[in-house]
Amino acid sequence: MGYQMQPYGIQAMLKEGHKHLSGLDEAVVKNIDACKQLSVITRTSLGPNGMNKMVINHLDKLFVTNDAATIVNELEVQHPAAKILVLAGKAQQEEIGDGANLTISFAGELLQNAEELIRMGLHPSEIISGYTKAINKTVEILDELVEKGSENMDVRNKEQVVSRMKAAVASKQFGQEDILSSLVADACIQVCPKNPANFNVDNVRVAKLLGGGLHNCTIVRGMVLKSDAVGSIKRMEKAKVAVFAGGVDTSATETKGTVLIHNAEQLENYAKTEEAKVEELIKAVADSGAKVIVSGAAVGEMALHFCERYKLLVLKISSKFELRRFCRTTGAVAMLKLSRPNPDDLGYVDSVSVEEIGGVRVTIVKNEEGGNSISTVVLRGSTDSILDDLERAVDDGVNTYKAMCRDSRIVPGAAATEIELAKRVKEFSFKETGLDQYAIAKFAESFEMVPKTLAENAGLNAMEIISSLYAEHASGNAKVGIDLEEGVCKDISTMNVWDLHITKFFALKYAADAACTVLRVDQIIMAKPAGGPRRDQPAGMDED
Amino acid sequence: MSLRVLNPNAEVLNKSAALHMNINAAKGLQDVLKSNLGPKGTIKMLVGGAGDIKLTKDGNTLLKEMQIQNPTAIMIARTAVAQDDISGDGTTSTVIFIGELMKQSERYIDEGMHPRVLVDGFEIAKRATLQFLEKFKTPIVIGNDPDKEILKMVARTTLRTKLYEALADQLTDIVVNAVLCIRKPEEAIDLFMVEIMHMRHKFDVDTRLVEGLVLDHGSRHPDMKRRAENCHILTCNVSLEYDKSEVNAGFFYSNAEQREAMVAVERRQVDERVQKIIDLKNKVCSGNDNSFVVINQKGIDPPSLDLLARAGIIALRRAKRRNMERLVLACGGEAVNSVDDLTPDCLGWAGLVYEHVLGEEKYTFVENVRNPHSCTILIKGPNDHTIAQIKDAVRDGLRAVKNTVEDESVVLGAGAFEVAARQYLVNEVKKTVQGRTQLGIEAFADALLVVPKTLAENSGLDTQDVIISLTGEHDRGNVVGLSQHTGEPIDPQMEGIFDNYSVKRQIINSGPVIASQLLLVDEVIRAGRNMRKPT
Repeated sequence: MGYQMQPYGIQAMLKEGHKHLSGLDEAVVKNIDACKQLSVITRTSLGPNGMNKMVINHLDKLFVTNDAATIVNELEVQHPAAKILVLAGKAQQEEIGDGANLTISFAGELLQNAEELIRMGLHPSEIISGYTKAINKTVEILDELVEKGSENMDVRNKEQVVSRMKAAVASKQFGQEDILSSLVADACIQVCPKNPANFNVDNVRVAKLLGGGLHNCTIVRGMVLKSDAVGSIKRMEKAKVAVFAGGVDTSATETKGTVLIHNAEQLENYAKTEEAKVEELIKAVADSGAKVIVSGAAVGEMALHFCERYKLLVLKISSKFELRRFCRTTGAVAMLKLSRPNPDDLGYVDSVSVEEIGGVRVTIVKNEEGGNSISTVVLRGSTDSILDDLERAVDDGVNTYKAMCRDSRIVPGAAATEIELAKRVKEFSFKETGLDQYAIAKFAESFEMVPKTLAENAGLNAMEIISSLYAEHASGNAKVGIDLEEGVCKDISTMNVWDLHITKFFALKYAADAACTVLRVDQIIMAKPAGGPRRDQPAGMDED
Repeated sequence: MSLRVLNPNAEVLNKSAALHMNINAAKGLQDVLKSNLGPKGTIKMLVGGAGDIKLTKDGNTLLKEMQIQNPTAIMIARTAVAQDDISGDGTTSTVIFIGELMKQSERYIDEGMHPRVLVDGFEIAKRATLQFLEKFKTPIVIGNDPDKEILKMVARTTLRTKLYEALADQLTDIVVNAVLCIRKPEEAIDLFMVEIMHMRHKFDVDTRLVEGLVLDHGSRHPDMKRRAENCHILTCNVSLEYDKSEVNAGFFYSNAEQREAMVAVERRQVDERVQKIIDLKNKVCSGNDNSFVVINQKGIDPPSLDLLARAGIIALRRAKRRNMERLVLACGGEAVNSVDDLTPDCLGWAGLVYEHVLGEEKYTFVENVRNPHSCTILIKGPNDHTIAQIKDAVRDGLRAVKNTVEDESVVLGAGAFEVAARQYLVNEVKKTVQGRTQLGIEAFADALLVVPKTLAENSGLDTQDVIISLTGEHDRGNVVGLSQHTGEPIDPQMEGIFDNYSVKRQIINSGPVIASQLLLVDEVIRAGRNMRKPT
């Protein structure tokens, strides 16, 4: 009965199951540690010689990839601080579509260096102010490092596109970047609109077909549908197309209808009028000149019969978005109801044909003429995971193309930019007087992570490479980077390795932001994990 | 004990145990929130049950999300939330002020003083402080053309305590302009007319003020224009889709022609309504290259969308109700509920309407409007927790500006008011009362100092040094506050650090009330359940 004093402090006030971490050692250092662990995982996948990871997600799906965005996405990171890094990586992936690995690894490196500073006795707020100054300086320097004359580029010139895209693709599929980047460049250039800034990533499609190899990969100007034609007509050339979003069948009222039949004669007649009606509709379509009918919903048996009779090829595309793309490919306007189409609403295809590739029946829709804004990269590979990885490389390439349409400036690749930044930011730190100069110096040091990792992943001696890089840069050769194949330092303009300025800019900025956010937190209050079935989005926590 | 006889499961804490529980709870809560106060306060990371992250410095958010269970702490938290409801700011200050009042009282109670005497002292001190606040506040003239600078200073003071400096300064302009935009003479400011929209895109510093409206959906037809200039805007609440009749109706037909006829009739009613809109469009847009935009609160079905698209009209369906009101304020015109008598007068105007697509999400911007009375703060940020943080801050910033406009006065910040009030209480008020009540006033006066003390502590300064130098300056007759960077006394007026009058008044009002209540508790009874381990 003797009641003890209530426990003191926050722990006593919270619901059971709460965790509360606070202070430098418990919260900040632990957070940093978690982020470090995450970046250790992604780091080995950085660069062309990065290793692949095999990730098996909660659905038992296997991923073999070195794409950091995919890795961290499937890892289902639980630790709150590490999650901030993951979010930064995702933001980068959404914004640019490439460079997620750089974001996460660099943020991890920044935090690791911050830990050393904290152990030296610096307060996190000083580190934050130093890092903020440093990133602002970095952005300035990055602008200076932009290759002269690169701000104007012809996004339709394949050579220029490939030179900018190669580094991004190479970091995912090293050794195959020449084939892939030229494929992707072709596909992108084909669909690039008049104003390149409006380039839509969605217009470059990827069709993955099992079998064959990389050398069988091709580009189709048009679409590849993974389905068969509905009727028996499988091939049509130079034909007009009518697209019906609402399905090809008899029309129905919204309100329930009932057929009223008084006697046997009417029953017989009803079926006939129904037939006559459908025939009339299909005939009207056929008369308008259309040879191909595309339906967005079900195709009725009777309608199909008449289509066959009027020698129309029937395709069914049930996805609304796929149907819109089809409209963009052919220039057709989707009609809601089956009716006689206006000549303006008809589209045109060069050829529609059903082919069998690797045991799968696919419908290839080609339209070489103007008005087509879709192209498809057909990828061939021996296993699903190889195809998935190729697709990610293509996605990165397409995203890079989009980014260069917006901002075509480039900076030297192969770690040349990073070393130059490290050098210049370091110089900048000497001019600062406050305690944050240590933080700025560490920020500069963090850039070394990139060449170091590139070298390590390629099996080279990292220290040797970095020191010779520094030596080259100190003597004014700002464009010297690592040649990973020969293991020496070279002027990257001879190797033609360029990175997009915008990718670097966002990656570094997001990384610095994430690192500062993690450092700013000094207390973590964790609620008891919500119960309920695992995996699926758990139900919201109970409000108390 | 008597209670045991009545209910054997009940628990009771009496006398000093009850008092200490209350004091401890108040102190505990103060400890939690203390580190958040002021521009140099730290951030707390809250991890929800589903693993979602929230980063915050805002006392109000923190108290809401922390799921506090201790009964005393809940009482204090409620006061703080009430503080937020009324003035939109000062939650952290309220909590630490209450905590400090309890802490100061503890000292006297331990020495054998009766809580009642302290409470009497609090009451006198509270009244005196409020009177002092009236004298101390700096009146400002609002009128028809308010001084933007002073509003900015108030907004900046609030925002800097919630966000880091660079971002806070940027938001300052945004919130001040937003409030001035929606302000109508002779009417109370309705902050609801500022739409806050967020996009997960780019960086937090890309947050901006849109004079006009941003809707978080786009047109649903692939052939509609994505961008239009010089637009007439029709705001309506008319159903443009086929409604099933309420009664259970059915069609009877005996051949396909009849059915076709039924299909046509079914659509006719909707088509007629659409036609009326198209007619209006043709009327106002013929002969010039103006565009026409329909924003409908109800649905528009695919056939109607198709008709509108063919007529070159941009149509948005299922707009939010609150946006309909704002749309009219932003673009002019009026919201129509029927298409029967449409006139060009019903139409609003916007210089630019365009759609922005971010991944799966679509946003429609209605910009370049004439003489808007509604605007949108478009928050951008790379991830959800940044956006949530900015959102909370923007809300508080808007409230701060609104309060200033309504109070027509501000109070010097940076701890200047607290130190001045303390000096006033100790030097003047205390002498006017007799007996032990004096001690209550003293406790109150010392408790006021918690604000400058905590500010100093969070900036890594020596609290004692700071208080001594501040009180010293005040004794010499200079009203000074604390500089967060140097720890030296500064003139808040020169630095532009101003707090809301209503915020301060609310703190002084509610803090002592709750503290008195807690002090006067002498028994805590909890029936049935164990107090320490809630099940």
